[in-house]
Amino acid sequence: MRPGDPVRRGFLALAVGGVFAASGVAHAQERATLTFSGSGAYVWVRDDGSAPAVQRRGPVLAGEGRVSLRGVTLAASLLEGQLQDVGSSSQRDLVEARVIVAGRPLPWLELSVGPVVRAYVADSTTERWVFWQARARVSAPIVATRLSSYFELWRALSSQVNLVTAPGRVQGGEAGVVYRPPRGTVWVRLGYRIDDAALRAVGSETLEAVTFSVGMGEW
Amino acid sequence: MSGSRVGGLLILLAFGGAWELRAQTTARELVAKGVQAYRALEYDAAAALLRRGMAPDAAGTLSTSERSQALSYLGATELFRTQRDSAIAAFRDIVELDPRYRPDELIFPPQVTNLFQEVRRATKAVALAVPPQTELRTHTDRLTARVFSSTLANVTVTLAREDGTPVRELYRGPVADSLTVSWDGLTADGARPDDGRYLLRVAPNAPDPTGTALMARQVALDVMQQPADTLPWPAPPTLLPERTGGTPSVRPLAAGLIAAAAAVLLPSIVAHNRDATSARFAVGAAVGIAGVAGFVTNQRGRPIEANVRANTPLKEAWQRKLDDVKEENAKRRSTVRLIVRAGAQTVADRGTR
Repeated sequence: MRPGDPVRRGFLALAVGGVFAASGVAHAQERATLTFSGSGAYVWVRDDGSAPAVQRRGPVLAGEGRVSLRGVTLAASLLEGQLQDVGSSSQRDLVEARVIVAGRPLPWLELSVGPVVRAYVADSTTERWVFWQARARVSAPIVATRLSSYFELWRALSSQVNLVTAPGRVQGGEAGVVYRPPRGTVWVRLGYRIDDAALRAVGSETLEAVTFSVGMGEW
Repeated sequence: MSGSRVGGLLILLAFGGAWELRAQTTARELVAKGVQAYRALEYDAAAALLRRGMAPDAAGTLSTSERSQALSYLGATELFRTQRDSAIAAFRDIVELDPRYRPDELIFPPQVTNLFQEVRRATKAVALAVPPQTELRTHTDRLTARVFSSTLANVTVTLAREDGTPVRELYRGPVADSLTVSWDGLTADGARPDDGRYLLRVAPNAPDPTGTALMARQVALDVMQQPADTLPWPAPPTLLPERTGGTPSVRPLAAGLIAAAAAVLLPSIVAHNRDATSARFAVGAAVGIAGVAGFVTNQRGRPIEANVRANTPLKEAWQRKLDDVKEENAKRRSTVRLIVRAGAQTVADRGTR
């Protein structure tokens, strides 16, 4: 976070406050619930900030854990994989870690906030992004508790990147469907995700992913 | 003219005075008076009264046993009237009417019974005795009939339709005195007989070498099928609802389609459509299909698994009861109940069939 940016600090404070306010509205849960999921994804990255534009792609694996207590959810996730540059033999490792705090002001709405660290690791350099996200996810049942769709948008409240020029707005979204088979605690999820960071004056960096996840516990 | 004959004539004259009342006198009364005359040794009067009592135009009818008894008195009367041929004819009528009949030796003197035995040995006759009404279940029950013969004879017992069409042969062989034949209610093909009139007939197998004619006898049988009393099906159990009511709402469909559209439009929303990959279309299609499938599923309602589990043993128990009833009903239908009403025995024809 860049110091001396009162507007962004205000946004962050508002988002965190909203999450905790939302948790107070939600039904109190006496027992903590745990959720674990593992994902496999295919990632496409397009970097218009370089000249010429660089495209990378490759499979990644991810894992996430969530704990919910009294309407507040704390989640941490880690994503890691290797991306191959299109048109060249160079590779970069993609590592992304995220921590969020979430609450549900309404049964179908989840608000969350938290930091994300994303790194593209090459042999000699590491491009590291750090931004605070505010996310809003809407889920709607298709078949009662068995099948539901979701749609999520997020926007960075603050962002930093170490190598390229300072980013402008950073935002993204995700949409997909979750299926929970009868008589089971396992669920599966199929989603499409896109993150876009506008780099001032030089273009943008876009990350897309198709994710297939298997999880246990509350979704 | 002997005194007894004069007495008989006087009685006849006395009866002649009451001639106008004759039409009102029944056959049974005439026979009774004939018997009284026989006991009073008034044989001429007895013969006349007994013959009138057995005449075809006599009022009322005599049963076989009454007729046999009347013929016994007539034969004895004729014997004592020294009309031996008439006595033999009367006794032959008895044998042909009922081969089982024997004059009572306490009533009739030996010369009467001896003559009857001679006639019986010389007269070939068969008779049939069938219960007036029989109810039988095919395959399991049987209709029994008795065949009587005055002498040893080779006979065939058959069941035929009224028009003579053979239905089944029940017995073929000798009968010395009596024989029991039975019918299981089926035709020769093992089928159930149609409702209608049948003839149970006993007839000689071949002409007697002595030339003595043996009259075939038959009894009309009215056969009627009784519908089987089948068991009612068990009442279906009261089951819990196994599905929720259908939801005609389009909200589930909208939830799927909006999420699908969102997946497709996300690049436009967040990245101003900067050459996004086509992967989003695959995800969008999957989400859209899920929405349509969910909409259809909601229309049908969802299964309530707890209720399905609770209903399963009730359904199985009911199905078992139903299977038992079906099996029992099938068994009952295969064994139809027949009502067989037998008529009077009649002479089928003269001599062999």
